[in-house]
Amino acid sequence: MGNVEQRSIDKATQEVLKKAQAENINTVWDRFDQQQPQCGFGQLGLCCTVCNMGPCRIDPFGEGAQTGACGANADTITARNLARKVAVGASAHSDHGRDVAHTLSLISDGAKHTHKGGHSHSYEISDVEKLKALAVEFGIDSTKNKDEMAKELSKKLLEEFGRQQGELTFTKRAPKKRQEIWKKLGITPRGIDREVVELLHTTTMGVDNDYKNLIQSGMRCALSDGWGGSMIATDVQDIILGSPQPIRGKVNLGVLKENYVNIVVHGHEPVLSEMAVKAAQDPELLKLAKKMGAEGINLAGICCTANEVLMRHGIPVAGNFLQQELAIITGAVEVMMVDVQCIMPALQEVAACFHTKLVTTSPKARFPGVTHIEFNPENAYETTKQIVKLAVENFSARNKERVNIPAEEMDLVAGFTKEVVFQILGGKYRATYRPLNEAIISGRLRGLAGVVGCNNPRQTHDYFHTTLVKELIRHDVLVLQTGCSAIACAKQGLLIPEAAKLYAGQGLQEICEAVGIPPVLHLGSCVDNSRILTAASHVITEGGLGEDISDLPAAGCAPEWMSEKAITIGFYFVASGVYTVFGASPFATMGSKNVTDYLTKGLEGVTGGSFEFCDDPIKTAKLMIAHIDKKRQDLKLKPAMYEAGKA
Amino acid sequence: MKQLLYEVKKCLGCRSCEVACALAHSLSGDLYKALDEEKLSMPRKKVLACGGKNYPVSCRHCEDALCVDACMAGALVFDKQKGQVLHDAERCVGCWMCVMVCPYGAIRPDIKDKMPLRCDKCKDKDEPACVKACPTRAVIEQEKAEVKK
Amino acid sequence: MKQFVIIGNSAAGIAAAEAIRKADKQSAITIISDEDYPAYCRCLISYYLAGQVLVDKILYRPENFYKENNITLLLNKKVERVDPKKNRLVCVDKAQIPFDALLVATGSSPKFPEVKGIKKENVFGLRTIKNATEIAERLPMTKTACVLGGGLVGLKAAYALSKRNIDTKVIVKSKQVLSQMLDFAAAGFVQRRLVEHGVELVLGQDAVEIIGEGEIKAVKLDSGKAIGCELVVVGKGVKPNIELVKDTGIKINEGIIANNLLQTSIPNIYTAGDVCESFDITVQAPSINALWPVAVEQGRAAGVNIAGGNIIYDGSLGMNALEFFGLAVVSLGMYKVPDKDPSYEELVLDNPKEETYKKIVLKNNVIVGVILVKKISNSGVFLSLMRKKADVSVFKNSLLDDNFGYPAIKDLMPDKERIYV
Repeated sequence: MGNVEQRSIDKATQEVLKKAQAENINTVWDRFDQQQPQCGFGQLGLCCTVCNMGPCRIDPFGEGAQTGACGANADTITARNLARKVAVGASAHSDHGRDVAHTLSLISDGAKHTHKGGHSHSYEISDVEKLKALAVEFGIDSTKNKDEMAKELSKKLLEEFGRQQGELTFTKRAPKKRQEIWKKLGITPRGIDREVVELLHTTTMGVDNDYKNLIQSGMRCALSDGWGGSMIATDVQDIILGSPQPIRGKVNLGVLKENYVNIVVHGHEPVLSEMAVKAAQDPELLKLAKKMGAEGINLAGICCTANEVLMRHGIPVAGNFLQQELAIITGAVEVMMVDVQCIMPALQEVAACFHTKLVTTSPKARFPGVTHIEFNPENAYETTKQIVKLAVENFSARNKERVNIPAEEMDLVAGFTKEVVFQILGGKYRATYRPLNEAIISGRLRGLAGVVGCNNPRQTHDYFHTTLVKELIRHDVLVLQTGCSAIACAKQGLLIPEAAKLYAGQGLQEICEAVGIPPVLHLGSCVDNSRILTAASHVITEGGLGEDISDLPAAGCAPEWMSEKAITIGFYFVASGVYTVFGASPFATMGSKNVTDYLTKGLEGVTGGSFEFCDDPIKTAKLMIAHIDKKRQDLKLKPAMYEAGKA
Repeated sequence: MKQLLYEVKKCLGCRSCEVACALAHSLSGDLYKALDEEKLSMPRKKVLACGGKNYPVSCRHCEDALCVDACMAGALVFDKQKGQVLHDAERCVGCWMCVMVCPYGAIRPDIKDKMPLRCDKCKDKDEPACVKACPTRAVIEQEKAEVKK
Repeated sequence: MKQFVIIGNSAAGIAAAEAIRKADKQSAITIISDEDYPAYCRCLISYYLAGQVLVDKILYRPENFYKENNITLLLNKKVERVDPKKNRLVCVDKAQIPFDALLVATGSSPKFPEVKGIKKENVFGLRTIKNATEIAERLPMTKTACVLGGGLVGLKAAYALSKRNIDTKVIVKSKQVLSQMLDFAAAGFVQRRLVEHGVELVLGQDAVEIIGEGEIKAVKLDSGKAIGCELVVVGKGVKPNIELVKDTGIKINEGIIANNLLQTSIPNIYTAGDVCESFDITVQAPSINALWPVAVEQGRAAGVNIAGGNIIYDGSLGMNALEFFGLAVVSLGMYKVPDKDPSYEELVLDNPKEETYKKIVLKNNVIVGVILVKKISNSGVFLSLMRKKADVSVFKNSLLDDNFGYPAIKDLMPDKERIYV
């Protein structure tokens, strides 16, 4: 994949890749090429490094060893490997959730002292309504004052992590029937940390050898993420940072500004970046920036941190996962401030090719020799001010001749939370899911699709996301997006209301025009996939579309996935009854026919959801649409109102 | 005339060459699909461990090959132009004489098809699959003349 | 320019002719054969009978082989006598053929037991295309057949007949099949395969009479039992074709005795192939190993020496590869320890469940015999060790491992390793 057109469909990406090639800077695509061909055992999931009798591998062509030293066969090995990934993915989201809950606890503690010398730049409760709603869910007296409520809530939330028995509180949000399915299968998550630990335990040498049991344990762990850790992260971020509202923004590398101090925030936890938004407006720093010859301070984001600050403040998005190095290669970034997850180790080397300072902020995610300015919620503003100052001071080190910012930037509308999307559909004063349900029932909308996930150099960057989403909306499927997938589609202009006219089928177009929304709704970061789960539950509660999530004319897809988190998200979607397609390449279970068949065929009879693997966007769309149509039939709904228009 | 060499100290015993070889000789050539084929493809190469080192073992295309002598069906011939021992599947009766005499143990019987499994240097492809697959570049394809130096 | 004559147009004869021609482009080469086909692969006769290969596929060399190599091929010509004194051959048709050097590669013929009725029509050996064609012609009139002998030829005949849907019984004097190349355990694997595929084995009994007047009716056994059949194939081993050198001064024993240059007792007369009694490396005694690869090797060595070269031929060893109904078996050298001789040692891996069997016979830490069932790909490695009489004590314990292979022995081999760098 040497030429840039094969690497990405995104013009800005192509342009910077050419610059990288001209300057001999290696990017993820080059390193990916250097990895070819990749290990067949790894791809098939047949390599086991669990114990020190290994590493063992199973001969996929059936002639050599069919079991590892311990006797584990292809089924056990692939299932164990997969389960471990689920545990890691769940850990990432849930640990994020824990940090946010912890911040809430600090805010409620600190509240007492705010009056004596706290300043206006500390965290506070931004969405009191949401706080109250959660308090009710957790059985807390919602008439108490907000700090007390927050204190009690944060305690209860943190207890969800260490809980040993019972059920996670948020699982009650799921439709009754779904809760019963989980109970029957024994996969209702008990405590967030417990499920991760227990799953890891079952995958060690000599514990669980039943691939079906391993996958079910994996689902319970994943549910503790989707209906636990991630949901906590989403909801508590809304409480602290404010619930997003539809907001216009800009996306792609073109948002970097030539005459400004550019700071890119990258990673997944928005708590610190939230403060960076404030610090970038600090008059003292702005003055300093002017003094350094810059017109101002420009903040932009990459990956999910970007989505979080976009949704709440309209901060522009510089790009998605595969563009993180490219932002630096524009030569115009003074500081890239990173927190956790999806931060390529390569950034250090790429930054070293320029004046860019990479700054790590989490004690969990560091690079040797890279500037580390540690974040803690108590002095967040001071910390970010220090980082912004570093950026401003670094402006003079920029080599103007090496600056090359692509012109591409695109408008988008983001900030559709589960609350907001459907308020809009119902009109501002009629906050109900009824209109959405009616639209589906009448067939004006064929159904719903969640298209989420990462980028992967295995696949032409952004191609699968955008081709799939265009095909879905052409068939009157309303698409809900998060993460890097949302950014991909945003760059191609699918997240503006005008896109409806250009790409959507007639039914979806009518709805978009009536309500003024884009045909593709941006729900946030990857922990915000939990918003899709709650939204789906609300649709069920509203009535007319079955009793369980698995009844809905809906499907999910992670087209260009690469992260373990994507596997976990897939697991909690399937465990919640959703038909979920994975693009890029299948899970590393293809070495076991049993495990792969169980995931793609066997699970439907167990959870009502199932996995599918498909490496072609149009075929994937067909599969999803066929599933949606089947569900419409099962619900005895009329067929979709309109035939799909021309592609 | 090229031949395959192995830089033993670089071989980590990952068996990627085996997998690549089996894949290159499968019907589909696609890793995921190949495993669904009715008759699973088999590698012509095997990595053997010995004395803490790993040695990929496959046909060396000997000029004075014992297998050619032993072949009573005349199915194996040394092609001087190509510098390879070629196998004519049409003539082969699967008597396993070639397997019996190969001093390198580099021919294995494919019982199902009654055919000896030997390296064919991936026939018409520009480079054998094992050379491409080796992550440490331990499998090298080199001109024979260079070797003699 | 010399006149080189080769009697025999099979593995040894062809290999010799090629070797001579490689070294000597001038001299005349004549090959004499009493058959009427150009060289073909004798070992494929049974495949031909089974209907698995056609006649044109069993030709050993392309049709233009003789012309291209400037070889005179005399077919349907039977040599009656070698006349060493006058350096000439006398043929049955009274023709006389002079030579400067001669290679006697007359091969061998099926041994027919001396039982009553053995001369009857429809009792066949299985050695030549002619035999196979004659048997094939009888098959439409045949429902059942008996094969006498459980050796390689007998079993291959039985295999071919059963592939042609003939109800076939194999009468084996010994308690096992292939008693000349496998031990009892290994033979058991083969027997199970044969029986599973409908070949009936009558073990431990011998034929005493072939019953029938004109047409064959049955084979009578020493147990008194008679087995009905319309056709008999004899596979009771072979005897070297030495008639034409008898009483000529050329020393013979069982076969024609050869020295390590493959010369007979008369220096310009050489011998190779099934008729040649050379030295057996593993048994360490003169012996005939009537095998295709051995014939090729001897023929080549003899050819080189005839053309003035000097190849020392160390001797041969018994080896065979076979396959019946998908079970591959290899036997090399001594397949069992001579009765309780303490200087021998056996390494055995017997896994009936996986149908694998490996046995290695050692004498003073030198491999002298190998049997491999199913996993046969290492046999050439063992063969090298046997030929080199290499001391294997260092890796004796791993000889039977699946992971054992050439890398373990490479330092023992005389040739410099070239591909592992």
